[in-house]
Amino acid sequence: MFAAEPRGTLGLGRADAVAQTAREWLPQPIWDLRREIDERMGRIPTQLNSYGYDQWGFHPATAARAIFTTALLYRYWFRVQVHGIERIPPGRVLLISNHAGQIALDAAMIGVATFLDNEPPRIVRGMGEYWLPTVPWVNELMARAGSVVGTRKNCVDLLNNEEAVIAFPEGVRGMNKLIWERYQLQEFGHGFMRLALETGAPIVPIAVVGSEEQAPGIANLRPLARLLRMPAFPITLTFPALGLLGLVPLPVKYNIYFGEPMHFEGNPSDEDEVVGEKVEQVKAEIATMLAQGLARRRSLFW
Amino acid sequence: MGQVPVEGPEELFHFAPAEAAGAERRTRRAAQPGEKLLITGIAGGQGRLIAQRLGSFFRIAGVDRSRWDGAPAGMPMHVVDLRKRKFEDVFRTERPDALVHLAFVRHFRSDARVRHEVNVLGTKRVLEYAIRYGVKRIVVLSSAYVYGALPDNPYYVDEDYPLNVSRTYPEVRDLAEVDGLATTFLWRHPEVTTAILRPVNTLGYYVHSAIGRYLRQRYVPTILGFNPMLQFIHEEDVAEAVALALQKGVHGVYNVTGPGAVPLKVAIRETGGTAVPLPEALIRPVLSRLFRLGLYHTPSGAMDFLKYPCTIDGSQFGRDSGFSPLFTLEDTFASVRR
Repeated sequence: MFAAEPRGTLGLGRADAVAQTAREWLPQPIWDLRREIDERMGRIPTQLNSYGYDQWGFHPATAARAIFTTALLYRYWFRVQVHGIERIPPGRVLLISNHAGQIALDAAMIGVATFLDNEPPRIVRGMGEYWLPTVPWVNELMARAGSVVGTRKNCVDLLNNEEAVIAFPEGVRGMNKLIWERYQLQEFGHGFMRLALETGAPIVPIAVVGSEEQAPGIANLRPLARLLRMPAFPITLTFPALGLLGLVPLPVKYNIYFGEPMHFEGNPSDEDEVVGEKVEQVKAEIATMLAQGLARRRSLFW
Repeated sequence: MGQVPVEGPEELFHFAPAEAAGAERRTRRAAQPGEKLLITGIAGGQGRLIAQRLGSFFRIAGVDRSRWDGAPAGMPMHVVDLRKRKFEDVFRTERPDALVHLAFVRHFRSDARVRHEVNVLGTKRVLEYAIRYGVKRIVVLSSAYVYGALPDNPYYVDEDYPLNVSRTYPEVRDLAEVDGLATTFLWRHPEVTTAILRPVNTLGYYVHSAIGRYLRQRYVPTILGFNPMLQFIHEEDVAEAVALALQKGVHGVYNVTGPGAVPLKVAIRETGGTAVPLPEALIRPVLSRLFRLGLYHTPSGAMDFLKYPCTIDGSQFGRDSGFSPLFTLEDTFASVRR
């Protein structure tokens, strides 16, 4: 049986006309990018139900639009260069990266990299903060784009389903670093290692060079953050001095380095010291990759 | 039992050892054909379906507060209130081998005291009589709502997750209590094969569920900016799950899932309605006042189920009973399409 024409599509004809006009006016590479995203979306190894959703609420058609917007930033704003992306093994994998830049664009750029520059294209599953599902619209976009709330159960289920999960063990400690703390890895949480041990997922260490200067933080107003129930309220060189415009990140050059997969074995419920040792190995690897990346960098902007 | 609920981002990957989780689950001696089965709440839509599904396997007797006019000829049907003394006579005269308990008040039309008496005290009495009159197997039909819809719920809640519904929806805490009573019974009386089933949103022609009534509306209010994933199951698949639980003799607490999950707005579209998103700040105070004045049928706590996921992992029941849903999502939506 064919589903009835979905309601609420009365304006679709007009939307098509707008799209047609936009096609004529926008440069060719941008439409090629759109087509490339659609083509790659058809090749992701994700099982969908008859309405086109996966079991975590991921929806390729919505995700393609989100990736398109992000991919414009990826190609033309940050001009992301990826190194060693072929090291991501097929099947379950935990991607572990440094985290900075006030807005989680590093996560978005890694996500676009694994979608556009990896073979086969993969959707990186993000582990969102606990307050994100309470934010109108954001909750929906997050789920449709393939991310979930960062609970242990969600992560185990995703890895057991052979997905690529990204985690930032620095958490908000890293994201809201101030500019003079750039590229200094903050304390790593241990959860990711316990999950790797439990699910047998290899860990791919990632160093993102560039993100840490995109929005130079000079202060973090914790009391105001608490009042607004946000994890942090950063003051950067441009925000709030330039108002909403100050939220636009600097057009820094991104370099993303993917390391060799690291395999760990052991009891996932070992004490913190035992697990902590393994965590330190990953942290040391990322620190080394960051140092090498920084040494190779000629300029902040190209 | 009981996984520690994760409280904040700093415990992003709070770890609970896997071996601590999981109640005792195993398959016991299966029900034999011709055993006597007593169904409480048989006159409701789900009760009738279960009676029809199992009519050829068991000798069925029914008990309900209201009568079932189309009941199969020859089936003993007792019209008695769970709260009355006469209710024990049903066990005395029928001497059932098996019991399916689904006599619950799930609506809010009667006052809270009646709801509590029927649901909590009623369940307690049913379980007491089951022991007193030698019932060998019991299925209690709870629901997935007992987990509650909370922003930090994992997408696939398993049976060891805490029953959080009363945190945001205190009016239905009696249903969480019923589930708890039955679970305690399961542990205290290992000699009785007990299955507690927690099915997801049930849709169908016969069942009067809150979600069914919600989706049958022409204009369906939703909450602006929220569109959670909802799992659905067809009413006949719920009857099938109850049948399998008895016939395979499964013992434990089980989530029961149907053919899958879709966003709320897809469900509204597929059942022939039009979603009307309204800002929560506007409708929550209005609805809770209307409910208190008796002018609206559902407390505002139910709105969380339109905001956050309450999706569950039903794989354990599939493994232990061999259950897999027969109805697709399309069939399930078609059963309530306007």
